[in-house]
Amino acid sequence: MPPIIDTEKCSACGLCREICPTDVFAASPKGEPPLIRYPDECWHCNACGLDCPEEAIKLRIPLPAMMLFVEKPGDHTGEKSSDQGGTSR
Amino acid sequence: MITIAKDTLKTDVLVVGGGIAGLMAAINAAGQGADVLVAEKANSKRSGSGATGNDHFLCYCPPAHGEDMAPILKEVQNSLIGGYHDSPLTYKYLENSFDRVKDWDAWGISMRPTGDWEFTGHAFPGRPRVWLKYAGHNQKQILTKQAKKVGARIANHLPIIDVLVEDGKVVGAIGLAVADDTPVLQVISAKAVVLATGTANRLYAAPTPGWMFNTAFCPACTGATQAIAYRAGAKLVNMEFPNRHAGPKFMARAGKATWIGVVSDPQGQAVGPFITKATREVGDITSDVWNSVFTDMAKSGQGPAYMNCTDTAPEELEYMRWGLEHEGNTAMLAHMAETGIDLRKHMVEFMQYEPFLIGRGVEIDIDGMSNISGLYAAGDPVGNFRADIAGAATYGWIAGQAAASQAMDEGVLFEAEKSPALQAKADLCNEILDRDNGASWKEANLTLQQIMGDYAGVEVRSETLLTAGLTYLRRLREKALAEVQATNAHDLLRCLETLDLMDCGETIFLTALERKETRAMHKRSDFPFTNPLLGEKFLTIRQENGQAVLEWREKL
Repeated sequence: MPPIIDTEKCSACGLCREICPTDVFAASPKGEPPLIRYPDECWHCNACGLDCPEEAIKLRIPLPAMMLFVEKPGDHTGEKSSDQGGTSR
Repeated sequence: MITIAKDTLKTDVLVVGGGIAGLMAAINAAGQGADVLVAEKANSKRSGSGATGNDHFLCYCPPAHGEDMAPILKEVQNSLIGGYHDSPLTYKYLENSFDRVKDWDAWGISMRPTGDWEFTGHAFPGRPRVWLKYAGHNQKQILTKQAKKVGARIANHLPIIDVLVEDGKVVGAIGLAVADDTPVLQVISAKAVVLATGTANRLYAAPTPGWMFNTAFCPACTGATQAIAYRAGAKLVNMEFPNRHAGPKFMARAGKATWIGVVSDPQGQAVGPFITKATREVGDITSDVWNSVFTDMAKSGQGPAYMNCTDTAPEELEYMRWGLEHEGNTAMLAHMAETGIDLRKHMVEFMQYEPFLIGRGVEIDIDGMSNISGLYAAGDPVGNFRADIAGAATYGWIAGQAAASQAMDEGVLFEAEKSPALQAKADLCNEILDRDNGASWKEANLTLQQIMGDYAGVEVRSETLLTAGLTYLRRLREKALAEVQATNAHDLLRCLETLDLMDCGETIFLTALERKETRAMHKRSDFPFTNPLLGEKFLTIRQENGQAVLEWREKL
């Protein structure tokens, strides 16, 4: 979802707003971090995260866009497990 | 009253869109000596589907492939994309593709990161591999820098909302300056225009219907080329064929071929016949061949279907991770890390995504020109040629060449600010901006997605459903024009994007009605067979005096 700006690190350079492909940031008073005006229009491309000179931005992926995964059933080759003891896998 | 900028911008070649195709068109056109202006909706350093990188470039590479191009040409023609190509374009593209690879490498995009030209992934075991693996994370910055270096001007935050045509020839365009909250109309006079606005997204519902911007390709790419070209009288082709991408569920991402794993059932067993263990050379081509595998397995109850990397060797997983970074998937990798997804023991569910327009759109000739003099198109919004990033790069270059030649042969720039179409556009913008108690653009966009999905979708199409859907779409357009409102530049742009998507939708309904057969993902319940007589036939659509004209022609 929205980029989350760490205001301690942000230098208010405005680069994130300038390069965002989907225009989610709005201008704010000089010296202040940009506002995230359209959080639901974030594509999660991470351009802002990658380009921020202060590394002040990270993304929060909204719940509906979560990835789905399961553990593969059965043996896991190469897995070390200290409580399993020696077994044939 | 929306302001119209006092000064008309003037240029030889106007490039619409600062993506891969647009920047390549600009670089070549400027290199030919033309004055070039790129009008880009956001900022060319990070815009479009190439935003944060790509890792595969389809090409014919003589040092790796040998001197005979024929096997590579055959591989491309037999692939998923080849069936929609006019062959002379495929041929010209392949002949030129390696020169573009070398250009990119020279400019600073690492096209052979290991030192050799490596072709990995997206391949059948035992058959030629045509996708060059490259490290493209910085491609947009490099191309932007190169464009400026050769003298092209880039106007960011200036999406083009229409081109201007006089006596059958393009004379310029209207842009909407969106850098500030107050929008401004900007007229541009140009001798040639290259439309290069990428894919069309937000036409159908995303995997997360309430979250329209969760798409594999850039959600700010909304069919401007197709819509603008259609309104200008240009021919579109292959609009009736849906195209769907696939990848992780629910997070819509591109780069499925970068994964090195096996498409598996819930027991972790391979679903396709091609491999049981994935390596970088040959991933699992199952999802390209059996395009709907993820959907079919879900529907049959045998699913879910997974991307299973649990048997992938550690060095291949590391290679995969590196590839995913360059493919623009850093957000996905971060999400996986935060979520605790461990590919050595977890299988990731994949799904088929919604239809979108890629390789569906403007019909071009071998030089990238449409049937409208001075109007060119390149990259993903072209309907009779597509090769993703490499196609955009190569045909962007070709179109830039032709546009520059034509522009430099031309005499005088037309005074585009005198065009009557300008006032009509201003009137439209004013209605939207002046409205009270109106509808948001989201209402119009979501309703469009509802109609497209139910009536021009991928499950079932028929004469009655398509006809009903077209009626509903036209009614929606009337209502949208009468009701949508915007209070700033951003929202006004979104309204105009939605209207562009409606134009795309209209052409989809009309061409889907006309193709009376089932072929690929165009499934007609009333014509359930595939008709060999239509196999080598392309269907074009254009507007003439406000009427849609549909024509069949032989695929070249």
